[in-house]
Amino acid sequence: MSAANLLGYRRQNGDIGIRNYVAVISAMDNSNPVVRRVVNAVQGTVALTPGFGRAMLGDDYEQHKNTLIGLGTNPNVYGAIVVSLEINSALAIAGGIAASGRPAEVVSIEDVGGTVRATEVASRYAMKMALDAGAQAREPMSWSDLVIGLECGGSDGSSGLVSNPATGKVADMVIERGGTAIMSETLEILGGEHLLAVRAKDRATGQKLVEAVNFCVTYASEMGVDVLGSNPTPDNILGGLSTIEEKALGAIKKGGSSTLMEVVGYGRRPSCKGFVVMDAPCPGIENMTAMASAGCHAIVFSTGKGNTSGNPVAPTIKVSGNPYTVVNLADNIDVDLSAVIAGEMSLDGAAKILEARLADVCNGSMTRAEVLGEVEIAISRIGRCL
Amino acid sequence: MTKCLVLDKKDNVAVSMAPVKAGDQVDFSGGENVVAIDEVPFAHKIAIKSIPRGARVYKYGEVIGEATEDISAGQHVHVHNIRSLRVRR
Repeated sequence: MSAANLLGYRRQNGDIGIRNYVAVISAMDNSNPVVRRVVNAVQGTVALTPGFGRAMLGDDYEQHKNTLIGLGTNPNVYGAIVVSLEINSALAIAGGIAASGRPAEVVSIEDVGGTVRATEVASRYAMKMALDAGAQAREPMSWSDLVIGLECGGSDGSSGLVSNPATGKVADMVIERGGTAIMSETLEILGGEHLLAVRAKDRATGQKLVEAVNFCVTYASEMGVDVLGSNPTPDNILGGLSTIEEKALGAIKKGGSSTLMEVVGYGRRPSCKGFVVMDAPCPGIENMTAMASAGCHAIVFSTGKGNTSGNPVAPTIKVSGNPYTVVNLADNIDVDLSAVIAGEMSLDGAAKILEARLADVCNGSMTRAEVLGEVEIAISRIGRCL
Repeated sequence: MTKCLVLDKKDNVAVSMAPVKAGDQVDFSGGENVVAIDEVPFAHKIAIKSIPRGARVYKYGEVIGEATEDISAGQHVHVHNIRSLRVRR
């Protein structure tokens, strides 16, 4: 099958996006209500409304700020309006976004005169930016420009047989065409890390992956907790997954078979193309926030029992091979691969269907998560506020 | 006859392709046929040979945990009779 042609929106810094969103960002939780009002008032915008952000300390503050800058400079973002209670926290984030050449405006609620006035000021900025974004035309985009995120959530016994391996084949295809695929969810590599480490481009990269996984074991042990019931989650267990090793061995199939080029930290953009692992926590909203901050254009989200999550800046394609889930959660599943379970479709055939849907989504077709407004984000905490 | 997939020749469990009721004949895709002892929901695991307590459980040809009790061929294999070897209290 010849590769579909892709069209995207070019950015000043060389990025090319598959969407042209105006991002309205809260620097901190207390500004979320203003941001939601702005997004309700102006079409073409997306709300990025994190928890926390006020008086964060050290690495925690850096991670919060850098993740919001990462989301605001995702290739799919045209420009951003950053809203905060006071000006400095807004400027810190808007400055990072403006450095990419994107338009960035700030609104300080206390400086403009309160919530109603801040909503008006931010809405006018958003309206102008949405009109400017709408005037931009799509241009040819190479598959080598594409970065996809590989996510799984609500996994079950079907995930490792159908939706994860089909996703892995699509990842290999994107990489074969020069693009990038990022897999994450570090704990869900535990039990299969040896299989990924041997695919690393060199010993140091393989070692970095193994150390990231071992950190999860040490952390759980120090807390004195059993991860069973947390991961595998209760729905994973209902779906037939008994241990974290079993879940992981199915989960890593979404990483395909390409050489592991790099292990990157939370929310960081890879420095190379190809197959990349990001060390970040597993929960879907939290992990996809880090993936989108790292510049993923789209996320292929493999599910067994089902999951509703989407990301506000990286369109999220839900794929399932579970014949019950594709009926029960029909609202939320974009790609039904259950014919593989029935023995009526090969995995190669399944991957072709998923690849075609990915190309359509890149070219503007909306995912179910986009249509349904599944736009939550959650930035991981490292420590606590004092 | 309900089909269950054995994913690797090292495996001692198979994955059910449809819900299995106790007493059902189970077809292990080329292996021997066994009568299911327990109900096995869709995409859950069924033992295809006896797995003694403490023995490793293999799926995808890899270790997914250890048996916490003796498991007979045809039994449902899940959190009640296997556990992680890597992360547990």
